[in-house]
Amino acid sequence: MTKVNNRSVIRRLALRDMISNRKMNCVVIVSIMLTCILFTALTSIGGSLINGAQQETMRQVGGNKMAGVKWVLPEDLEKLEADNYVFDVVYRIIVGYAVNEDMKLSAEFNYAGNDEAAKAMFSYPKTGRLPENIDDIAVSTLVLDSLGIEHKIGEKVPIKLDIDGNVLDYTFTLCGYWDGDKVALAQICWVSQAFIKEYAPTPSESFYSQEHVKYAGYYMVDFNYANSWDIEGKTNALIERLYEDGNAPDTGINWAYTTSSVDAGSLVCGIVMAFIVFAAGYLIIYNIFYINISANIRSYGLLKTIGTTSRQIKTMVRFRAALYCAVGIPLGLIAGTLLGKLLIKAVVTILNTYSADSYSISPKLLFLICLISAAFTFTTVMVSCSKPCRYAGNVSPIEALRYSGTDIHTKKKDKKTGKVTPLSIAHSNMMRSRKKTVVVVLSLTLSMVLVNTLFTVLGGIDRDKYVGNSIVGDIVIRHNSKTDLWDDLTKGVTTEMIEDIRTIDGADVHPVYFEKGSVVPQGKQLEQIRTLNSKYGSEESISIELDAALKGEYIANIYGIDEKLAECFEPIEGSIDIKKLMTGKYAIVHTYLWNAEGDSSVELYHAGDKITVECGGREHEYEVMAVCGVPYSISTKVYSIFSTQVIIPTDEYMSLTDEPAATCIMINTDDSSGRVKEQCRAYCDQKGCPLVYFDKQTYLDEFSDLLRMVKLLGGTLTAVLALIGILNFVNAVVTGIISRKREIAMMNAVGMTGSQTKRMLMWEGIYYALLTALFSAAGSTVLSLLFIKGAAKELFFFSYHFTLMPICIGVPVLLIISMIIPYAVYMKICQKGIVDRMRETE
Amino acid sequence: MSVLKTEELKKIYGSDAAEVQALKGVSISVEQGEFVAVVGTSGSGKSTLLHMLGGIDRPTSGKVFVDGKDVFSLNDEELTIFRRRKIGFVFQAFNLVPTLNVYENIVFPIQLDGSAVDEEYVNSVITTLGLENLLNRLPNQLSGGQQQRAAIARALASKPAIVLADEPTGNLDSKTSMDVIGLLKVTGQKFSQTIVLITHNEAIAQMADRIIRIEDGNVYTQKQTLNGISGSENKGGDIND
Repeated sequence: MTKVNNRSVIRRLALRDMISNRKMNCVVIVSIMLTCILFTALTSIGGSLINGAQQETMRQVGGNKMAGVKWVLPEDLEKLEADNYVFDVVYRIIVGYAVNEDMKLSAEFNYAGNDEAAKAMFSYPKTGRLPENIDDIAVSTLVLDSLGIEHKIGEKVPIKLDIDGNVLDYTFTLCGYWDGDKVALAQICWVSQAFIKEYAPTPSESFYSQEHVKYAGYYMVDFNYANSWDIEGKTNALIERLYEDGNAPDTGINWAYTTSSVDAGSLVCGIVMAFIVFAAGYLIIYNIFYINISANIRSYGLLKTIGTTSRQIKTMVRFRAALYCAVGIPLGLIAGTLLGKLLIKAVVTILNTYSADSYSISPKLLFLICLISAAFTFTTVMVSCSKPCRYAGNVSPIEALRYSGTDIHTKKKDKKTGKVTPLSIAHSNMMRSRKKTVVVVLSLTLSMVLVNTLFTVLGGIDRDKYVGNSIVGDIVIRHNSKTDLWDDLTKGVTTEMIEDIRTIDGADVHPVYFEKGSVVPQGKQLEQIRTLNSKYGSEESISIELDAALKGEYIANIYGIDEKLAECFEPIEGSIDIKKLMTGKYAIVHTYLWNAEGDSSVELYHAGDKITVECGGREHEYEVMAVCGVPYSISTKVYSIFSTQVIIPTDEYMSLTDEPAATCIMINTDDSSGRVKEQCRAYCDQKGCPLVYFDKQTYLDEFSDLLRMVKLLGGTLTAVLALIGILNFVNAVVTGIISRKREIAMMNAVGMTGSQTKRMLMWEGIYYALLTALFSAAGSTVLSLLFIKGAAKELFFFSYHFTLMPICIGVPVLLIISMIIPYAVYMKICQKGIVDRMRETE
Repeated sequence: MSVLKTEELKKIYGSDAAEVQALKGVSISVEQGEFVAVVGTSGSGKSTLLHMLGGIDRPTSGKVFVDGKDVFSLNDEELTIFRRRKIGFVFQAFNLVPTLNVYENIVFPIQLDGSAVDEEYVNSVITTLGLENLLNRLPNQLSGGQQQRAAIARALASKPAIVLADEPTGNLDSKTSMDVIGLLKVTGQKFSQTIVLITHNEAIAQMADRIIRIEDGNVYTQKQTLNGISGSENKGGDIND
């Protein structure tokens, strides 16, 4: 085919067409904007959360490079630097780690290859510089704090440095420091090249061929690839490329790039959201184009008559759509980013993450978000206008010239005669362009169904169930366990503390005592442990524990409880007879194996079995009364890989141990004034007391935070969707009335009064509202019964209730809108006399 | 007895420099049962006159009496009701409600009024116009001539005081035009309806009892046609200017 240069004339035509259609321009641009806002806001939040999680993981890992090779020599570094597929190569040299007694955190000593290497480890001095002199040191403020050293350049920093087993006492001089990150697993301390030369010189043999493993002096080289796709594959390929002889070093992959990738649930959630936005955008943009092309079908017919091809007409419509995008998308991006920023700020505040800055959006990410949103919106617009576009292109010239824009396309030959009333005419009018009606109704339905779903979900979240799982009794007091010491975690509440709290008037105190012991498994249990070993033993840490158990004993977590606490237990197997339990001959047990949650074969002991427990050097035998774990809120909250909880009455517990102590205390109170709670809290808050106070309110607060976030995000989404729906409705009604101006004028001329006309038009609006109500009710019911009810079973804190309340509230509002708008539009067109309206041609 | 009378009807569009005097004081009267044609070139003011007669446009000054009632003393709502009871309209195009079938269109003004349809009368109008087989059709399934016949039927159905037709044959070929005007005249006579017809077609105008010629907003001749002479002597109104 010959290429004809007709672009400019087609474009000019499209542009002129646009200029003459101001009202449509506004509506299209606003709807493109809204669609774009939704996409941008959603991708911003999604991007921020993913990025935030990734950043946080990177800070835990302590590096932002994608991969690295470990314990190599300078020649390996050179090889990597020369490779074409590897970028941003940085290296550090290992020295050792600090073993100062008063230092409670782990501090690694390294030499940074350059500034970039320090930055890549999030450890670049904010004040001062990297070390240059032999005694220079740069550390984080956390290290300084733990050593009790002032944040000041030039301070002396005495370190006991373990270099491959040899401890070196060395006093460094502080040359630089930065704000330490509590998230990081280890703190990095930088030393100078001179120091390295002296104390950790480059070894001569490869790390991997050593007889006695030494670390000092080896290089850790980290680098990036062009992108983060399949880092593992790229690393394997790199190693094969560089080490053809097979003597390859160990490699490491930054799991921030792999594990932080979205899980299936959020991915589905994201896709569903994107689809909803797409659908909303499609429905409105399609409708506007369709209505507009129907109204201008004559001019398209005329264009065809004078020789415009169908392809040229399609190009015209598409060009118009692209122009609208050019205006609408940038506006939408700006508004969407702002909205996204606000939402992220709110979400981060609500989530209360202590690394809020990780969630801020970098310019690079923002650019990506804008790019994705723009592409999404553009695709939506183009997909939406493709059908109306074909319709315009395929119009036949003759038909188009006859088409009045208000004709009815009915295949039915005749229409049965009925009584003519404003209502019946409204009905026929609705039927005349079924497509338009359906699209508007669907658009409105979308937001209605979403509100209803959101409401069902929020309404179904059961505060009592949620909090009930988090706390037993009115108050729980336990050790703050900031030290992370096993004894603090498990036996942090001493008998003295318990006595102190008992003195609080009106507090009904029930300590949950704890002691560590061991279980001596017998034949039947040993058999079962073997089975478990073959099932889960592939994991090394599990098989070590199970092998140990097979040798004769494993960990028993012994709890001592009273009658009141026993009431809180909900047995999985057997039943709890509290009186019988209190005799001390019985025990409630529950066995735990890491990674095997939900597998009932893990329960080694069943009701009626005998269990032998060793504690304090003596063996005790109990009969198993029931299988049941300690409720989470009063348990130690620490888990061994393989252990059995043995729950016995307090008196029996006391006879086992010489050092009784509780993991926590449950307190009940009848006091409604809050005095008891106040006193308990005051006791925990006093200086030097390591206890923390929890009550229902603590959890309720946490819970309302969660709800607030769902409400905020869901509410914003539905609000914008509702806006789109209403815009679509208004546009359909307004254009519907304007295109029938002459018809309405004629009806007025032959005797339809103003009030009758208004009634007819209002009925049309009501039709939309009622259809929407019907569709929404049906859609919500299906969604609610089919999906939410099913999903509800998965969540322990969810009680499903069927509701259509939001629709019942929404429909009257919609009815009012659907009556006001036609009324207003009619009043507007009535400003012109009948004669003028009848004369007017489109 | 004159069923329709105007007194010094004036209509001015626009103001100051852009002022256009569409009607410059027209006084005419039409007798019961008369078939009057209003002719004039385009822009002469004939359509404006018809709109005033039918009460769908208000004059700048002057009065219109239909059945002795001062039409413009009514407010808009009353005027609309007055129209559907007293005046039948036939327009050049876009005459019928596209969503209603022919019968529904015919009885549309009556039903809007909430009054009972005089079935016998309506049926005889329908038969006279030859619409009996088209009653369940929708307007877009009819030819132009059929549509105008349906419009005439609607104009007559409520037994109005006058039927006003604004170039009802403007969109039709000459044969169909003659047929439609013939039918209009026949039904008018049969049901003794007063008809005012606007046209710029002389042949059609000749079918009327009397021709009012309008030019530049003034009525300047009122000519009795041959049809009119046989009916009544000098039914004319005043001649202005």
